[in-house]
Amino acid sequence: MVVAMGLEQMDQYAPVLMMALVAIAASGGMLAASVIAGKRGHRPAIKDTAYECGMIPIGSNSARFAVKFYLVAMLFILFDIETVFLYPWAVVYKDMLTTNASLILGGMISFMAILAVGFAYILKKGALNWRE
Amino acid sequence: MIGLSHYLALSAILFSLGLLGVLVRRSLLVVYMSLELMLNAANLALVAFSRFNQNLDGQVVVFFIITVAAAEVAVGLALIVALFRLRQTTHIEDLNTLNH
Amino acid sequence: MNYGELLKLLAPESILALTLLLVLGADATFLSGRAPGLRRAVAASLTVAGCMGAIYWIFFFPIHGHLFSGVLVVDPLTQVTKQVLLLLTAATALLTLETAFTPHVGEYFGLQLLATLGFLFMVSSEDILTIFVALELASLSLYMLASFAKGNLASAEAGLKYFLYGGLASAFLLFGFSLLYGLTGETLLAKIAAKITTTPRDPLLVVAISMVLTGLGFKIAAVPFQLWAPDVYEGAPTPSAALIASGSKLASFFLLEKMMTIGLSSAVGSGAFHALAAGWVPMLAMLAGLSLIVGNLTALAQTSVKRLLAYSAIAHAGYALLGVIANSSQGFVALLFYVMTYGFTVLGAFGVVAVVERQTGSDRLEAFAGLSRRSPVLAGVLFVCLLSLAGIPPLAGFFGKFYLFAAILRAGAPSLGILWLVILAIALSAVSLFYYLQVLKQAFVREAPLELPFSVKPSTQLVLILLALCVILFGCAPDLLVSKLLLALKAAAPGLVF
Repeated sequence: MVVAMGLEQMDQYAPVLMMALVAIAASGGMLAASVIAGKRGHRPAIKDTAYECGMIPIGSNSARFAVKFYLVAMLFILFDIETVFLYPWAVVYKDMLTTNASLILGGMISFMAILAVGFAYILKKGALNWRE
Repeated sequence: MIGLSHYLALSAILFSLGLLGVLVRRSLLVVYMSLELMLNAANLALVAFSRFNQNLDGQVVVFFIITVAAAEVAVGLALIVALFRLRQTTHIEDLNTLNH
Repeated sequence: MNYGELLKLLAPESILALTLLLVLGADATFLSGRAPGLRRAVAASLTVAGCMGAIYWIFFFPIHGHLFSGVLVVDPLTQVTKQVLLLLTAATALLTLETAFTPHVGEYFGLQLLATLGFLFMVSSEDILTIFVALELASLSLYMLASFAKGNLASAEAGLKYFLYGGLASAFLLFGFSLLYGLTGETLLAKIAAKITTTPRDPLLVVAISMVLTGLGFKIAAVPFQLWAPDVYEGAPTPSAALIASGSKLASFFLLEKMMTIGLSSAVGSGAFHALAAGWVPMLAMLAGLSLIVGNLTALAQTSVKRLLAYSAIAHAGYALLGVIANSSQGFVALLFYVMTYGFTVLGAFGVVAVVERQTGSDRLEAFAGLSRRSPVLAGVLFVCLLSLAGIPPLAGFFGKFYLFAAILRAGAPSLGILWLVILAIALSAVSLFYYLQVLKQAFVREAPLELPFSVKPSTQLVLILLALCVILFGCAPDLLVSKLLLALKAAAPGLVF
């Protein structure tokens, strides 16, 4: 079979090969890596406790997990990153105001409105309430 | 002279490093950073192509990818926190409740 | 092009977005602190009302057009698909009433709507930027839906696995997109296709195609990118799994078909046995063959019904891929008919699983024992849905498969090269009957130790019966949907000659 095929025809199998490589890398690798590691490094939950041997910690060790910081940081990233859209908008604003005012204004107003609704929602849910 | 191929090579290396990280690292947070690295490899390729094609579309796409990546960070971290609260771990091999 | 026009074209999406705000707002203000049952009922009715409103709007105000030369496309075909997607979401929302796993009611229904919004945009996008954003909107919502049962370790794990595999898929897809953009300098699918013909075959193009296929392969759960599916289907709350299996699948397949037939229409290649040529058809043929084999054979060994449905979903992705491989308008219609009816069917099956799981606390095969005596209605729905999945006439699943096989054989008629795939599909369809019958054997033959009747909510019964009727109706009169799809396809792309 293979001998009978010309070089050009062999060449046409390239995408299949490439696909196979990607597939093997993505799925086979994941599978193999987890199997190997699963045998090698068994980590029971006790290894993550404060003292692996000796006294057993009293109370929950997740009490020191400051979710507030994480939550506020996450919300900050989300709202912060939205400003990237303001810069290109501001650059073309003046030019577009004369040619297509409804699009440039309506677009940004609805964008800000959606952000405002999101902000109102997190306020209402108390996500920024630091004392609680 | 740095040309398009250099940027592409760098982007391909970053992508492969990210993929390698996802496949071999055991900590969820590191896996997660590797995923971000892969997205940024794509960003780099887009910006390079955009520059060398003399066409701004690629950079517009990058803006959106940055935003989407931020949303992904939020969702991913929330999922990791949810798992941590139940299981007290951030290790990939501990994701084994569903493997029969 | 002004803002009013934009709003008019996106009216269904706007309705859905407003419904989302309404659901969240109602739940956060005057319903906060009320009984969870009431909150669920209000949120579900609002969701259903929103979906029905959007369907109504599409039906009575048909409007077609292209935004920004095709970044967003609104044509008859996308509108029909959107209506089906909205129906699937409405049914999912009603089935959610059967479950009580979360106190965050507004958010759960809100995320279902957000995912649906993502599906609608996926269907309408023909530009790599909007495709990516729509896909991520849908995916991120689905990750959260999968891990929504916060106290449940299986759910948290399912969500995280879905997220990790999905994130990897997005990265591949994005890198593929960036290469496509680099090769052509365009982001619109149609323009990308036009540029690809002019450039000679480039190794980068092959890399780009395989990366795009890897990304979309994860979405449709085709082998070898299926690893997430069984865990997610099993661990996620049942309504979330149902949405992932029905709506997400339909939107992803629509996107895949568009990506291939519009964006890569000049890199088709051939998957015929002796004449393999570079392009996406041989790659998809490989994915389809693997999905059929792995999905059907692994499903045989399952004891959890949700896991069984996951492997059956993988197998069905293999069948549906035949429609894409056919690369013809007939193939497109067959694909849409198949995935749409599959959505109704699998939703019915998941609805029954949701009830059984709530009443018995398990989705194992044994939990279904004596179902026909504990709830004849549920057993009947399960009977119809599973037999349709197995492809028994006169149910919708049979005609779906029939159209797919016909489409692919007609497309490959001159050489009959792709016949191997059809033979494989037919043979494995017979295998699939075995595992579906195992579930039905439990439901109809086995006896449960204690056969107390199930209490099923009237809304759930109504939805399940309607879904089963749809499956029977589209099986007995498939032309109702097929002719509509054909007309829509002709109207959407009058010059399109495959």
